Amino acid sequence: MTSAAERKSFKERWNSLQSREARLAWALILPTALIVFGLVIFPAIFSVWISFREVGLNNLNNVFNAPFVGFKNYIDVFNDFAFKFQGMRSWGAAVTSIVYSFVATISTVLLGLIAALLLNRPFRGRGIARAVFLIPYVAPIVSMAFVWRWILDPRPSGVVNDVLLSAGLIERPIAYLATRGLALLLVIIFESWRYFPFAMLMILARLQAIDDTLYEAAEVDGASTVAKFWYITLPELRYVIGAIFLLRLMWTFNKFDDIFLLTGGGFGTKVLPVLTYEFSFRLFNFGRGAATSMILLVILIAFMALYIGVVMRNVDET
Amino acid sequence: MSNGQNDKPKNVIEHMASWITIPRFIFVLLLTIFLVSILFPFYWMVSSSFKTYAEIGGREPVYIPSALRMDAYKELFDSETDEYWNFGNNILNSILIAIPTAIIAVILSTLGAYAIARLYFRGKDLLLNSILLIYLFPGVLLIIPLFAMLAQLGARLGFEVRDNLPILIITYLAQTLPVALYMLANYFRTIPAEIEQAALIDGCSRVGVIWKITLPLAIPALVSVAIYTFMIAWNEFLYAFVFLNDRTMFTMPIQINTIYNDPTPRPHVVMAASTIMTIPVVFLFLALEKFLEQGLVSGGVKG
Repeated sequence: MTSAAERKSFKERWNSLQSREARLAWALILPTALIVFGLVIFPAIFSVWISFREVGLNNLNNVFNAPFVGFKNYIDVFNDFAFKFQGMRSWGAAVTSIVYSFVATISTVLLGLIAALLLNRPFRGRGIARAVFLIPYVAPIVSMAFVWRWILDPRPSGVVNDVLLSAGLIERPIAYLATRGLALLLVIIFESWRYFPFAMLMILARLQAIDDTLYEAAEVDGASTVAKFWYITLPELRYVIGAIFLLRLMWTFNKFDDIFLLTGGGFGTKVLPVLTYEFSFRLFNFGRGAATSMILLVILIAFMALYIGVVMRNVDET
Repeated sequence: MSNGQNDKPKNVIEHMASWITIPRFIFVLLLTIFLVSILFPFYWMVSSSFKTYAEIGGREPVYIPSALRMDAYKELFDSETDEYWNFGNNILNSILIAIPTAIIAVILSTLGAYAIARLYFRGKDLLLNSILLIYLFPGVLLIIPLFAMLAQLGARLGFEVRDNLPILIITYLAQTLPVALYMLANYFRTIPAEIEQAALIDGCSRVGVIWKITLPLAIPALVSVAIYTFMIAWNEFLYAFVFLNDRTMFTMPIQINTIYNDPTPRPHVVMAASTIMTIPVVFLFLALEKFLEQGLVSGGVKG
């Protein structure tokens, strides 16, 4: 029971070390918090607001008075031919996005795993190899996208066409990025090529931390290389791979630059971010663009919740 | 003698034959595939930048240019040529954006990360765990409201939103600060608090502690954050694409895109510009790669 004399006064609590520390902490965080709140969180909420209203070029400067149209934007998007799934010839943006993100992320993680395994044991030139492996991740997306487009050039002067023609594997040059199906495959390959170093770095760090005695014990018991990999390496990597998969899935799902620069969204590669861009800056229907990005967000959150709830729950051992 | 065969020194062929085993073969094969698929595009970019227009548009790809011709580079920098791109301007714009972004990001994230790592306040754990959720919101989602917001603000406060480099810097800061905070906060946590507490007991102020003790110990992470932020600002495309309209204000990525979409195709110029844009960043990374990996990984993933 605290008497009036024992309870701390407001002034004492204000000046206590704990309070002063908390105030200092908030002061240190304030600039960052302001920028992030003002330029990320507030626009995100504002985007929801915009998605329920009709906003075009004509009322962009007067956006707070834009007319409320309920779910019209959302319905327009769902009915839009670019969004809907219309059979195997025309997947629509939603399905394309999901397929693209999944396949690209899986192959990114696979490539990263292979690269990490390659670099795990010392060999001559390992340092240089590791540095080279980082290049696709580090180089600017603009230059890499245009180099790839140039290499995949439909004319015989494109490198891939030249190599395949000379090897007799194809008869006529192929327009790779302009062929439905092939374009999506190539975009997926590009994506895995560009982002495998990220997966590689994380997996490699974890690989190097695995206790060697585990392997030695397995050798004594007569385990083969494959068995050692399957029963020791993989379980140790489960958490890292799970985390990388989630992160890369999220980032790939949201990616705009890569596909826009590689194919412009054509020939079966139109994903939701590109569709959002087109609604907003080609049709100048900002309300519909906002609605598309909201749909993107909901799909992503739904998947993440599912993933974290189901997959990550079983992986909580170190 | 029964042991004679084993004692005979192996000749070169036998040495090689015993060296080549299936696992080694697979290893070398995979390693080569990776290296070629990474180095070839890079080589193609650089070598194409030195080709003439004829070599670029010919019937067959020219794998090794006949000579190091500077045609493409002249078009970028020499104002005498027909299609002068004034690329030097774009280089300047990119630098003017990337360097301040990196510096400010390091300063702000250091302050914030220190608070998260060392000080105690309500909501701290929630903040650290959820800060990466910021990245759920893609650039395409944020850019519409951001554009609308900034247009309104600009109209009221009298600054122009388009072609405004400082505004672009601030948007890049918003994109990079969360991950910078996360990386640094985790790194600061690995620095033993006892060192700082000893200094505090000796009468050092909090700011003094940060400056004299924490920062010197955290240099690898600080360098990582600086490089990472620089890279993001240097390479960024979407926001620059939407916010910049005047050709003289373009950053390098946007200008490269413009050159690519020019009615007369000039791939060698695109490659030259790409080379100029790529080399500094790749060089920076390779030179300081050790720091980056330490920073990226040490705080990133459990275990």
